[in-house]
Amino acid sequence: MILEALAFIVLGAVAVFTALASLLVRELVHTILWVATFFVALAGLYFLLSAPFLGVLQLGVYAGAVTILLLFGVMVTRKRIFAREAATGIGPAPLALALLVTVVLATAAAAVPAATTQVHGYAVALLSAALFNDYGAWLLLLGLVMLPALAGAIYLVREGRD
Amino acid sequence: MTAFPLAGLVGLSAVLLGVGLFGMLTRRNFILLLISIEIAMNAAILDFVVFAAYWGPGYGLRGQSAAVVLVGLAATEVAVGLAIVLALNRARGSINVTESATLRL
Repeated sequence: MILEALAFIVLGAVAVFTALASLLVRELVHTILWVATFFVALAGLYFLLSAPFLGVLQLGVYAGAVTILLLFGVMVTRKRIFAREAATGIGPAPLALALLVTVVLATAAAAVPAATTQVHGYAVALLSAALFNDYGAWLLLLGLVMLPALAGAIYLVREGRD
Repeated sequence: MTAFPLAGLVGLSAVLLGVGLFGMLTRRNFILLLISIEIAMNAAILDFVVFAAYWGPGYGLRGQSAAVVLVGLAATEVAVGLAIVLALNRARGSINVTESATLRL
């Protein structure tokens, strides 16, 4: 029990730290390494929350595919991979707005039951039955979004566009 | 059955959304902008998974299904975003968003 509470705290702290670090370091490649760690920390949280399918999905899609795509984006857009970003000042207004949103949301989060509750886990078979029967429309909608999105991506990068 | 801190995890999600918003408002590099959006989307997905673990099978399965669909949406968004990065880089030689005043490439 105490070990699980410790794991939640450690993974949460790692997630917040790596998210901040990924936005504050000045080398883009380091950013991507930090954000990969962030994705892995979230996958750990999903495993702790008895959502193993989502944990695996997070590892495969985010820590795997998205990280590689972002690295690919860095690779093709700069001549020297380890070039530093120019320092951009952080204005007070964006910082204040982000802090305000965080405080408002955290206050709302304080309204949910504070005590630790029991995790409800679901078998993957149950999840897939729900996903393909009850919520099949969502999956269909996702496919309908993905197809034009990927066609649009190919259109954007095709050669010989005027 | 393990226990988990509901309020703590919802608070974590709120903080992560704040971090993503902060990145969206302050960073100028398009790839960093994409990463900020990903962090904010992950905060939302974390919320779905947390509440799925909180509720019983009915709402719980709905929450996890929504999380699966959201992961797919976020991946699609990265693919389109990187296509825009490549097109911007080819057209302007830079992926700094402050240098792009028009949507036309």
